[in-house]
Amino acid sequence: MTLAVFFGCAFIAFGPAFSLFVFTIVKDPLRIIILIAGAFFWLLSLLLSSLVWFIAVKACNGVQDPTLHRALLIFGVFFSVLLQEVFRFAYYRLLRKANEGLASISDEDGLDISVRQMAYVAGLGFGIMSGAFSMINILSDSLGPGTVGIFGDSQYYFVTAALMTLALTLLHTFWGVVFFEGCEKSRWWVIAAVVALHLLVAGLSLLNPLYEASLPPVYGITLLMAVWAFFSSGGSLHNLNTLCTRRKAEEESAQ
Amino acid sequence: MRKMEDLISINYVKLLIIALFYTCVSCSSVEKKIYVELNDTVPCVRLLNATHQIGCQSSMSGDTGVLHVLESEEDLDWILNTGPHPPYMIVMETAFFNRSVMLRMKNSSRVSGVAVIVSKTGLAENFSPHTTCPNQNTGVYSASYGPELANCNVTAWNPLGNGLSYEDFSFPVFALKDENQTQVIRKCYEEHNLRVNGSAPQYPLCAMQLFSHMHAVTDTVTCMRRTDLQNRFSINPEVMCDPLSDFNVWSSTRPLNNSAKGHKANESVVIAATRLDGRSFFWEEAPAAEGTVSGIVTLLAAVHALQPVTQQAPPPRNIFFTFFQGEAFDYIGSSKMVYDMERNEFVIDLDNVHSMLEIGQVGLRSGRNLWMHSDPVSLTNSSVMDEVTKMTDNMQSIADGLHISLAKLNVTQPLPPSSLQRFLRVRPIPGLVLADHQTSFINRYYESVYDDAENLNVSYPPNLSPDEQLVFETEEAKSLAEVATLVARSLYKQAGGEERNLNNITADPRIVAQLLYGFLIQKNNSWFRSLLPPEVTKKGANSILSSGPPQFYIGVGPRNIGPVHSVTRFVQYIMANLTGAATNLTETQCQNPESKDLFSYFWVSGPSSVNSSGEPFCVRAPVRLAKAVSPAFERMEYGSRDYSTWTESRWKSIRARVFLVASRELEMLTLGVGVAVLLLSLMVTYFISSKADLLFSSARETPTTTY
Amino acid sequence: MNLERIPNEEKLQLCRRYYLGGFAFLPFLWLVNVMWFFKEAFLKPAYTEQPQLKSYVKKSAMGLLLWVAVLTTWITIFQHFRARWGEVGDYLSFTIPLGTA
Repeated sequence: MTLAVFFGCAFIAFGPAFSLFVFTIVKDPLRIIILIAGAFFWLLSLLLSSLVWFIAVKACNGVQDPTLHRALLIFGVFFSVLLQEVFRFAYYRLLRKANEGLASISDEDGLDISVRQMAYVAGLGFGIMSGAFSMINILSDSLGPGTVGIFGDSQYYFVTAALMTLALTLLHTFWGVVFFEGCEKSRWWVIAAVVALHLLVAGLSLLNPLYEASLPPVYGITLLMAVWAFFSSGGSLHNLNTLCTRRKAEEESAQ
Repeated sequence: MRKMEDLISINYVKLLIIALFYTCVSCSSVEKKIYVELNDTVPCVRLLNATHQIGCQSSMSGDTGVLHVLESEEDLDWILNTGPHPPYMIVMETAFFNRSVMLRMKNSSRVSGVAVIVSKTGLAENFSPHTTCPNQNTGVYSASYGPELANCNVTAWNPLGNGLSYEDFSFPVFALKDENQTQVIRKCYEEHNLRVNGSAPQYPLCAMQLFSHMHAVTDTVTCMRRTDLQNRFSINPEVMCDPLSDFNVWSSTRPLNNSAKGHKANESVVIAATRLDGRSFFWEEAPAAEGTVSGIVTLLAAVHALQPVTQQAPPPRNIFFTFFQGEAFDYIGSSKMVYDMERNEFVIDLDNVHSMLEIGQVGLRSGRNLWMHSDPVSLTNSSVMDEVTKMTDNMQSIADGLHISLAKLNVTQPLPPSSLQRFLRVRPIPGLVLADHQTSFINRYYESVYDDAENLNVSYPPNLSPDEQLVFETEEAKSLAEVATLVARSLYKQAGGEERNLNNITADPRIVAQLLYGFLIQKNNSWFRSLLPPEVTKKGANSILSSGPPQFYIGVGPRNIGPVHSVTRFVQYIMANLTGAATNLTETQCQNPESKDLFSYFWVSGPSSVNSSGEPFCVRAPVRLAKAVSPAFERMEYGSRDYSTWTESRWKSIRARVFLVASRELEMLTLGVGVAVLLLSLMVTYFISSKADLLFSSARETPTTTY
Repeated sequence: MNLERIPNEEKLQLCRRYYLGGFAFLPFLWLVNVMWFFKEAFLKPAYTEQPQLKSYVKKSAMGLLLWVAVLTTWITIFQHFRARWGEVGDYLSFTIPLGTA
């Protein structure tokens, strides 16, 4: 019966990523390569931070002080975030270097991939991987037969986890776009802002299970990042306007 | 709450660990938030014989149901008829665990499982899940042997038996023994599932899942055939069931050469027998106090009492003590011994057997009464008649001296269920069964989990330390010591010993008290530890010396604590220590003695004092183990009607857990939101990507970004 | 392999080989035959080898259908009656499910 919860959460968490993948990535082999490589870079950062986490936990083994555990968790979260951003930068450098090689692989001549597109694809790769890792375990438990709550926890746990994952996937995509743009134009404050927002989101997730306190700000940040990413990837109000007016014009002409 | 806070934030960190330790997925912290595992549960498992399967089983992935605590008749109606959330997982008070309720559950599709709270509160006046006629078809009485006595026609030995243990339930039934876990379940039930003013409780509801999926099915014939087939053809063979088996323990006052099988010239033995096992509705949960322990303790005390006299003034005949394993399941141990005797594969044969005295249930003597049961059919044989009459007269005179009222029964009543019946099947051996019941059993909790120390009236004054309890001579201990004295003197007399030595034979109530304490209260006591090998005592709780009383269910051979059942081990070592002689052999010499023909050698811990562990030493005693597995399995006659065919099914996991289940509406809402998000994102993405050129048109115009 | 680049004689040869191979209790060969050559046999404009190819494909399809029918019937009967057959059922089984009759 809890198959419904499983699919519901899976669709929430991965629906947008899936549709982005289907409509924008799948057609171009080069984009798939960049996506997978991006996911791989995120995994590398995970591997490193898990090593650090492992050592830290081993070092604090046996200590039963809850505040220490809390501190350890916070340290782990922030360390992991910083590592992810370092790897994002490393990936940017790699893509820049490998750009020409990649272009030669590309099937159709002349239709190169722009750095902006690369930024988007790489960001999505980061997002998909981090989303998968934060969600898969929860998804497997959502298959049931039980649901969270016997210890007094919220029964909306699965949905909120899925919503969080959804936001995270999108955020990573937008961060990717903005981050690469910042690198490209050597605007260090942009990079700093991305890192700061990433840290903020990670910090907000520490507020759980107060979902009212963590989810809305995270979605606020997501919206902000979406707008920012839109502008930094070449969108403008003017473009939006054109689109709308053209729409209207089409409608009028249809009438 | 602190732990919960860590939970979702783990979106980042939790899985870091998993990246390194992938195995941890199965114990993820999410799972810990959902499920409460109940560790101290006892399942009812499936047993099979030639024609039937009995016991319980869950589906492969466990059976789940909404919890309901059965406390009143009203609850029963709610569960079976009106409750809106079937199927229900029923948590049952002891008082409701009876045949009629269980059969109503069995016939209802609204029940997914039962968990019984085993406690003494609300316990009925009597409860025996066994049949009214134990071992009905494998005793001596049949169409060809005393047909008018067959099938308990004359006496229903266990009239209180409701046959619950022999029903086949298609849902799991567990026993909850741990008070804390019962509390967890109750709390969950009361917080979520309690009806308010008779209306249905609101979701989320508390539910329970029980896993006890059994591999074997239908009957022993089917399951052994399938096991054989798998062994022959399959790449990864799967054994589905194992025969119930263990070991008999035997000993004799004069050592018998164990390496020479078959008839022993000039040897005539008086067999003194009792049974070693019991059972209950639940697996490996069989205290069998009156049913079995009373007999074991009496015979062991008698062995001890006979020891000095048989050394100083050995009677002309040998006395052969034997403890039969698996008697609760159609006489596994005795049928195997008789089978081996017939085929000259045992140390003696049937010609060596002079007579037999069996000790049945002797613990509950009302007014110091005991009865001697004999077989009316073999008494028609005059020589048997003479011997039995002599035996009863002797015993009666001995009993008179002990102020025990011992009565002989008239010859119309058959033998109660007893190992002697298996001997009578092949030869009219003169024999008696000593028991505390004239007709049907006095035991009100025969073969149930309630046949425990309390049922046998073994209780101690408060404020006694374990070591004081160990040697405290309860009334029951004194009473059983009397019976043991009677048994010992009767055996000596029956073996042809001289009258004047009889008064030197007296069972020690202190030994009886220690035995009772060890078998009924706490097997991990200082006395048992001193009798057992040092490696057992050192391992402590992981060995056969875990805490609590031993359980008397026979089991299926190679166990995780060694090849031999703990009770068998205890009896073997107690016998060795009570009758053996200490030697000055070293440990290696003791384990590999020059000759094992006449004696076994036991390396035992020795008594320990407060500040030092005991000095181990080597004991030499004619105590032996003999395989107790039904001949049906040796002969591969899995459908045998003559021999026990009981097997125990195998299983992968037995566990129970409690958790909450969400309402259908919430689940559907989640799915709906999911589908909406998916469709919406598909549409939005399609729209944006189709208008990408327009929206992001400036991208290509920026010179720095094109390559 | 690209069917477009093969001359018609070779197609016929191939189809024939698959058709004959199917008789060695290999109905999947017929399945492959039907799938591969259906277009060639029925949809392509006529060519000299087509009638023969057509007959091979038809026969393959018929053989396949026969197999499907026989197997479905047998599987249905077997699944339905295995428990009731008892010993025979066990001997006919390759793997025996645990815990079911």
